[in-house]
Amino acid sequence: MSDTLEFEPTAYHVKKSNAGPALDIADFNLWYGEKQALFDNNLEIQKGQVTALIGPSGCGKSTLLRCLNRMNDLVDGLRIEGTIRVDGFDIYGKGVDVIALRKRMGMVFQKPNPFAMSIYDNITYPLRVDGVTKKSILDDTVEHALQQAALWGEVKDRLNDSALGLSGGQQQRLCIARAVASDPEVLLMDEPCSALDPIATARIEELIEELKGTYSIVMVTHSMAQAARVSDNTAFMYLGRLIEYGDTDTIFTNPERARTNDYVTGRFG
Amino acid sequence: MTSYNEQLPPASGAAGAAGIAARDTVAPRQRRRFSADLSALGEPALWGFGGALALGIIMIAVFLAVVLYNGATTFWPSKIDRVELTDGSVIAGTERRGTIFRPQLGSLDDATRAEVEANDGFAYRTLYQTANFDLYGDDFQWVADYEIENITQPEDFYYFERQTWGVFIGRIAGMTIDGQAMDYDPAVFRREQAAARDRFREIRRIERSEIGGINFQIERERLAQRRAVIRQGEDAAADDVAASQERIAELQAEFQELQTRVNEIRARDRAFTVTLEEVEGRQITPEISQIVRYFPANTIGFFDKLGIYISRWWEFVSAEPREANTQGGVMPAIFGTVAMTLLMVVFVAPFGVITALYLREYAKQGRVTSIVRISVNNLAGVPSIVYGVFGLGFFAYAMGGTIDQLFYPEALPNPTFGKGGILWASLTLALLTVPVVIVATEEALAAVPRSMREGSLACGASKWQTIRYVVLPKALPGIMTGMILAMARGAGEVAPLMLVGVVKLAPALPIDGFYPFIHLDRSFMHLGFHIFDVGFQSRNSEAGKPMVFVTTLLLLALIVVMNATAIIIRNRLKRKYATGQF
Repeated sequence: MSDTLEFEPTAYHVKKSNAGPALDIADFNLWYGEKQALFDNNLEIQKGQVTALIGPSGCGKSTLLRCLNRMNDLVDGLRIEGTIRVDGFDIYGKGVDVIALRKRMGMVFQKPNPFAMSIYDNITYPLRVDGVTKKSILDDTVEHALQQAALWGEVKDRLNDSALGLSGGQQQRLCIARAVASDPEVLLMDEPCSALDPIATARIEELIEELKGTYSIVMVTHSMAQAARVSDNTAFMYLGRLIEYGDTDTIFTNPERARTNDYVTGRFG
Repeated sequence: MTSYNEQLPPASGAAGAAGIAARDTVAPRQRRRFSADLSALGEPALWGFGGALALGIIMIAVFLAVVLYNGATTFWPSKIDRVELTDGSVIAGTERRGTIFRPQLGSLDDATRAEVEANDGFAYRTLYQTANFDLYGDDFQWVADYEIENITQPEDFYYFERQTWGVFIGRIAGMTIDGQAMDYDPAVFRREQAAARDRFREIRRIERSEIGGINFQIERERLAQRRAVIRQGEDAAADDVAASQERIAELQAEFQELQTRVNEIRARDRAFTVTLEEVEGRQITPEISQIVRYFPANTIGFFDKLGIYISRWWEFVSAEPREANTQGGVMPAIFGTVAMTLLMVVFVAPFGVITALYLREYAKQGRVTSIVRISVNNLAGVPSIVYGVFGLGFFAYAMGGTIDQLFYPEALPNPTFGKGGILWASLTLALLTVPVVIVATEEALAAVPRSMREGSLACGASKWQTIRYVVLPKALPGIMTGMILAMARGAGEVAPLMLVGVVKLAPALPIDGFYPFIHLDRSFMHLGFHIFDVGFQSRNSEAGKPMVFVTTLLLLALIVVMNATAIIIRNRLKRKYATGQF
């Protein structure tokens, strides 16, 4: 692409819901050392809905997602500008407890990453690190979380077996169960199906469908078909900039920007 | 050779297709053969690699075979030869080994000289263990083939292993049982020898544990008195001292009682003696209790030999050494080696793991951490004797001296911790092996996938919780590998130990039944040093030689057992934390 690319302001469409934003990203810039990776992103994530972040590789969608629970803090030489607000609190503000923040933001990763513990211990991990030791609370949480992740029926008889003995799809649902165990407000999913086969992918998509409403879900995906199937709102990003944001039907059928149209029709990316 | 290009038309468009056709028409003899250069195939390199591996394996195999053969055959009973020499003297002994040598021709008579000269000046000689050190002043004698008149294997020759003076080879001329002189009777002698050994062990037990214990307590009371005087002053401590004196008097009464009992048993023991006669008729009359083991070497059957073989091995691993370590067992050395190695692991494990944890997980990666890392790696290359010198100077003299002044002033000027001991030895070895543990732990930590850490952090775990519950368990097998390497290195190290606490003969084990049970200040015996000592420091290196092999075999076996245990634990952990499938 040409380096003198002129970006027009982001095109916003009418949102489906007006229940208020779960997350409010305002004028957000991010640098890795000298290199700027995100440019002036403005985005409101709607409560109880599924928001998909799409765009070609390296467009900054994963970076943006990982800023929402400050996972990028681990990266050396990272610098940010702008605000991300949860319920009016700036998560990059002074004195923010990152650990408390992460408890409000469950996260599911590209590859299933269960810990080398039993299924039970995996799900109770967020509670145990929080100091919860009461058996009845832990038991209830395990059952509830596994039911939410549609895994209860498959593993209820072997909760003390190693989580690493599960299949890939089961492991990913276990990770979802782990993410919802601490009862977060937002679920962040970073390409949750990229390491799974089509059947496992379909199960996860069903699950996302069921979980929305309870949680606000932000999902990064490479698959436009998946974004079209499961999301309510879609944000298209390109070279670190938010190009177009609005409800999924509009983005996929009647985008305002030519570049969005090119991407969703498969002309590039 | 013609290159293809000369035959090809310019490659473009349709002409290119023609070119491909042209390639097919090249005459077979103009083509390169269907084989690559030898250098391209890497075949010679492969032979080189394979050869190097084979060489390494062969060297190790030969080394192990030599140790195994010599170690395993040492304890097998051998026959006694009665050798009549040409000069009229007679010797009796067991054949040890033979070699060719160049005799001094001038000292030989004409016939022998001619024979030797016909053989290019070489002759063959055999080393006999003639034993009877108390009579001959030497245990071994070389006998050249041409000196031998006649060899017989008389049936009445016995091989005696004695508590002192080593082996005796000869026959039994008579015995005195309970003061009554009588002829040798095998059944009676066997019974009396067993009874005499029981008496000997009883004396040993009373002297070692009971009298030893009382001595230990008296010494402690004496030290307590001095401590009270030093702490409270002469007058204030008077009551304590008096009470302590009373206890010492009691202990001394007990001591007297035991001593009387020992003397009684000793006196009785002297009524049981045996008269042994060496090959030329000289006699000695030791107490029967001095005979540890005896057998008629030339008439004994296979299973009796096997029994002696096994009982010698058992004595070797379970008993204390006799005769300047050349006979008896090495139990204190085994104990010392294992105790020291385990103690070393106790020190090196937390220290190395914590260091690596900070270096890898917390420290900001940059120039400073790189320098630290390089320095740690270089530490592994420092000669081990340097660690020994450091251990002696820093641990024993500086730290130990300070500890003595602060906590054991009553024993001064005798050092308690201010000299070599098992604590300082294991600390020195911990220092020696800590680079191994740090490097292995760092690698194990680095190998824990980032996704695991992120998964834990995303659950709201703190960094420490992530390390504690996710990273460390996952890295544990790798850390164990480092520990195994450190243990193997530590258990086999001798040079630094010679400075910081290993002794030729330790009077007591570092762990025993007296409070506080674990005596970290004590010096100890070590198998590695034992090998050095019996092989090169003993008055009788020929006698020590077989022990070198046996002890080496034992040390190797010990290291194999310790490593195997660690590997089993590691594999169990690995299975527990096996990565999931996708």
